[in-house]
Amino acid sequence: MITGKSLARRTFLRGIGTTIALPFLDAMTPAMAATTTKAPVRMGFVYVPNGMDVRNWNLDYEGKLGELSRIMKPLEPFKEDVLVLGNLTHNNGRALLDGPGDHGRCCGSYLTGMQPRKTMVDIKAGISCDQIVANQIGNKTRFPSLELGLEDARQAGDCDSGYSCAYTNNLAWRSETQPLPPVLDPRALFERLFGNGIALSPEARARQSKYRRSILDFVTSDTKKLEINLGPTDKRKLEEYLSSIRSIERQLEKAEKDNAQIDPKMPKPYGVPADFAEHFKLMTDMLTVALQADLTRVFTFLVTREGTSRAYRELEIPDGHHPLTHHQNKPELMEKVSRINTYHVKQFAGWIEKLKSIQEGDGTLLDNCMIVYGAGLTDGNKHNHEDLPTLLAGHGGNNYIKTGRRINYRKETPMSNLFLSMMDRMDVHGEHFGDSTGRLDGLNLS
Amino acid sequence: MQFQGQAKPPVGIVFDSGMGSSIDGALALALLYGFDGKNEARVISVSVSRSNLSSAAYCEAVGRFYAGAVNGGFGGVGRNLPVGLSVDGKIKDETPMLSGPLAKLTPEGKPLYAHGIHQLNDTAEVPALIRNAFTSQYDQNSIAILAGPATNFAQVLDLPRVKDLITAKCRFLAMTGGAFPNGNPEFNIKADIPAARKLFAEWPTPIILSGFEIGEALPFPAASIEKDFAWSPNHPVVDAYKAFKPMPYDALSGDMSTVLYAVHSQDGYFKLSDPGTIAVLDDGRTKFTASPQGKHRYLILDPAQKERIIKIYTEVASAKPVPRAPRFPRKEKELKEKELKDQELKDKEIPVKPSEIKPPAPQQ
Repeated sequence: MITGKSLARRTFLRGIGTTIALPFLDAMTPAMAATTTKAPVRMGFVYVPNGMDVRNWNLDYEGKLGELSRIMKPLEPFKEDVLVLGNLTHNNGRALLDGPGDHGRCCGSYLTGMQPRKTMVDIKAGISCDQIVANQIGNKTRFPSLELGLEDARQAGDCDSGYSCAYTNNLAWRSETQPLPPVLDPRALFERLFGNGIALSPEARARQSKYRRSILDFVTSDTKKLEINLGPTDKRKLEEYLSSIRSIERQLEKAEKDNAQIDPKMPKPYGVPADFAEHFKLMTDMLTVALQADLTRVFTFLVTREGTSRAYRELEIPDGHHPLTHHQNKPELMEKVSRINTYHVKQFAGWIEKLKSIQEGDGTLLDNCMIVYGAGLTDGNKHNHEDLPTLLAGHGGNNYIKTGRRINYRKETPMSNLFLSMMDRMDVHGEHFGDSTGRLDGLNLS
Repeated sequence: MQFQGQAKPPVGIVFDSGMGSSIDGALALALLYGFDGKNEARVISVSVSRSNLSSAAYCEAVGRFYAGAVNGGFGGVGRNLPVGLSVDGKIKDETPMLSGPLAKLTPEGKPLYAHGIHQLNDTAEVPALIRNAFTSQYDQNSIAILAGPATNFAQVLDLPRVKDLITAKCRFLAMTGGAFPNGNPEFNIKADIPAARKLFAEWPTPIILSGFEIGEALPFPAASIEKDFAWSPNHPVVDAYKAFKPMPYDALSGDMSTVLYAVHSQDGYFKLSDPGTIAVLDDGRTKFTASPQGKHRYLILDPAQKERIIKIYTEVASAKPVPRAPRFPRKEKELKEKELKDQELKDKEIPVKPSEIKPPAPQQ
């Protein structure tokens, strides 16, 4: 039977201490409505530190994507969903008479487009573009934005030649003096997304876990009621969605169990997987659910902090990432940098695959996203800020962004122009942002 | 904050021209690189308002020539800066003084004057290039030079917060244009009258103009081209000079006078008019009205200086670039080493305990 009634977009499955938002279902589209409900557009930024080995990042052609470079290779199956952007520049990442400290500057300026004040005390950058959007549309979702990261990092002190750690360890800035530290602990994120928003202490969590059931058990009643009114396609979508949440729970439980066995006193947030790839996957799995359920439309993901010296033992690279990037053109060191860069892209590609696998309306979740993947330094050895490694994944809704191409912009084109255009796509319109000189042409061909 | 580790470098020059209209522009660029080589100025930005790739390519070829790209021997003078190119300039044609040198080949069939500009995205977006050049200068340690239509500088003025930036960083704008106190419409002004009007109305620093009469009264001697530039068997300025008109001829030097005044404004090469305001009439003529509050002045030639001016023109424009030592090699090395050492120390620090990291408060 066809009726004009539809399921409200903001329908939740509720249980004790649990609230689970639903993904976009066909039942949320009014059957006889004049216009259909559009899936929202999401905007996000995935940041990798220390620049890249640009020899193995850059493409030597423009236009339709053919063979990808070595570092981008993991994105080969998804190259029709990415747009590679060349020659974008962050002038405010440059020294501009402030001397050394490119790592502090490049991260502090990346999403703010502003020159960070060189200080360890009275920090100042600018409000970041994600937060400008979050301020405008954040009331439409449970979380105006989500800030995620993978690396434990302090917020104060000197992290780069007189630049506060607040610059190297945060991407999002709520105001010009207030960065938003990323959430690193998967359990804390899980509880934030599906609990009542209060992160439990490890001890309290341990007590609770003794009796823990899946959060899905608490919403069984609501789930059954909902399923009665769903068609077979929606039932399948719901089942897959709830199954993905259960999968996240299992990953969390495994990580917590592994951590307890490895070293119960290790100074790592409770529940952080020891394995980088697992951690990345767990965080992005939760981010996927958050995007799918429209818990947020804006996110930042600081893969590791800028200037990090994390070693990648899983790649048999015991050297710190940052020292490696000062390779002085030694081939053996450059090779390691390339492998780290490729490893990061591989994790990202795994997430892109996930986003592409989730149906949403007539397309996929990825179709309704626009996710910047990039670095704030171009070459970690040169510390330069022009032609920053940048790609845009997803289509920005309604097939807006014409992907599968490489566009090489004119030299000195501000990165802020890209962000201004993305803000437009989020229906947040400003005259300028950061050091923008205008909108970025060419994202849409029509 | 301005980094306090170094003394101020020589004045930075933002050079915008309509390269290709007159050989004067090429001579002015040679003069500028000559001053750069003598450590009396630094070329920090080069852009063109002629919407033709050859115009930008020629500028880059000259820059590379002075950087040693032809024979690899000069070292530090000149830099491989990106060249800005206007996409909506009022003049667009390629001229022989551009195409001539760019078409010259080595015996191996390669371009004699190397450049990397083959398509639009090999050039820089002009407003960003010029704005960015100012951002990296010490306060009051740069000068803008306009040796062509005002198209590009007028567009720079449209950027947010840029007038405050120019006020802070730029001493004055020196430009070739107009005719004073009266005269016919001058090419640079007439080529883009709206841009010239905008520039005179909105440019925040003093503007000093070299009118047509200055360049006309100070001809650059053809003999210098034949003699003073002979140190190099191939020179992009010489080849442009020869392609511009049949030799021998003496060239107008309006753009050279603008460069000379910009770099040596205190050295008495020219007299200045009283301050005033310049208006652009509909036919492209300029009208100067004296006013104590006015920000505009024009150059006045002192006949007694004519010989001295021609002498510095020919000597500096034709000077062979010499390797220039870094200004503060030891200090720069020490700073870099300190930066790396600091980072190593930090990398060894024990990370902060997770309990010290507070998750952000729920936003809802």
